[in-house]
Amino acid sequence: MPTDTKRVRGPEASQSPSLFLCKPATVLPSRGPRADGRQRDQVDVRPVFVRCGLVSQAKGSAYIEAGNTKLMCCVYGPRETERKDETDMKCGRLIADMRFAPFSCRERGSWIQGSQEKDLSLMLHESLQPAVCLHKYPRSQIEVNVMVLENSGSILAHAVTCASLALADAGIEMYDLVLGCSMRQDGTSYMVDPSYVEESGCSDNQGGLTVAFLPSLNQISGLQSDGEMAEETLTAGVRTCIEGCYKLYPVIQQALSKAVRRAAPPPPES
Amino acid sequence: MLCHNKCKIVFRLEQRCATCTPNSISYVRLFSNASLASPSYLCPGDKLCSAENCIPGTGVYLRHGYVYSSLAGYVLKKNEGEKLPVISVVRETEVQLLPDVGAIVTCKVTSINPRFAKVHILYVGSTPLKDRFRGTIRKEDVRATEKDKVETYKSFRPGDIVLAKVISLGDVQSNYLLTTAENELGVVVAHSGAGAQMVPINWCEMQCPRTHSKEFRKVARVQPEYLQA
Repeated sequence: MPTDTKRVRGPEASQSPSLFLCKPATVLPSRGPRADGRQRDQVDVRPVFVRCGLVSQAKGSAYIEAGNTKLMCCVYGPRETERKDETDMKCGRLIADMRFAPFSCRERGSWIQGSQEKDLSLMLHESLQPAVCLHKYPRSQIEVNVMVLENSGSILAHAVTCASLALADAGIEMYDLVLGCSMRQDGTSYMVDPSYVEESGCSDNQGGLTVAFLPSLNQISGLQSDGEMAEETLTAGVRTCIEGCYKLYPVIQQALSKAVRRAAPPPPES
Repeated sequence: MLCHNKCKIVFRLEQRCATCTPNSISYVRLFSNASLASPSYLCPGDKLCSAENCIPGTGVYLRHGYVYSSLAGYVLKKNEGEKLPVISVVRETEVQLLPDVGAIVTCKVTSINPRFAKVHILYVGSTPLKDRFRGTIRKEDVRATEKDKVETYKSFRPGDIVLAKVISLGDVQSNYLLTTAENELGVVVAHSGAGAQMVPINWCEMQCPRTHSKEFRKVARVQPEYLQA
């Protein structure tokens, strides 16, 4: 029989692909306190440092630090739309873009957007869109660019917070601030605001959840989950994340007040 | 006062979440009380007051009978002689404006065409725009009389500063549609071929002070109070 040159024959005996997965260097214990001293099964978010108005060329900007995670966001707009759609005539368009700096992760990345960045940008856009009053900006586009300077866990959650702060700093009308919080379910216990090491475990019965929440309107604008999670843990996890968002709320409000005070003095009493 | 949650954050006002279930931990929300005498800094989503007590102005939105802030800024309450005060949230003294229908805009002509003139909108009213928006002045919108006999070459030239009014936001293909079909609208500043700023003679001609040559433009009759000596 003539040899079939067009097909690539697989090996005779097949093996499970999990044999070839590289095991993580450090396997975290699923009991006991977390590496940075925070508690499991409690809403223990990392203390957050927030500052608005650091980029002078952008209309609005914000910087957030949570533990070692560092993110900055710039907002430009409203500008004239480049592409014209039917929908642009009535309300504006929001363009969200999230990038990793090459030095942000353990391994050096590239400046070109990868698939993970495109996914995160889409989720960021989905979380921010309900909060911005786009009908007040017809024929315009508002650009939100987030740059991750150091990835140490729960970047999507902090990106959402940072982006909504930058939008408020830019004077874009919004229905409410959007706060993000994420958690990681590890077997039976959960950890809120996981760090990079805690996020990248790949054992069974592990799942992660990120929630984007509007605190004053009490609405959820974005929900992202991966891994394995039972239905009850998912609903309990959403409540946990909402609680984490409420913990962040006063810090964000204070940072905005400082930015407003720095930008302009109060108007004279009429 | 201290919140009764596990976290030890201090709040100004304590409020029980209206939708929290009895079994879960109560959520404490920070309410910014905007009726205080000192200037209070607001965040988007802060509840200002009930819609019965005030009329919403700029920078606020109505929801479920309450007025909420949509900007991060200061609250301004103005009593304009009506029964209810107008409440608005301002960030800076000048508000970011977008060209709206009926607004008088200052624009610069970029190119002309027998059918229309393309312009860049620079100012809306008296506030400068940070980014330029594009607009179009069609041939039939240049002046009110004898619309079909208009020649754009005799009304505008590239580089002229023109006062125009927005008639529509335009459809998918076009830019903002502007009109100069009023006495007060039209060319305000123009430079002659020699490079000097021209002086208006009548509504359709301008003269260069250096070469004394006349050029055709659709001149705006600026009100005397806006002219500087």
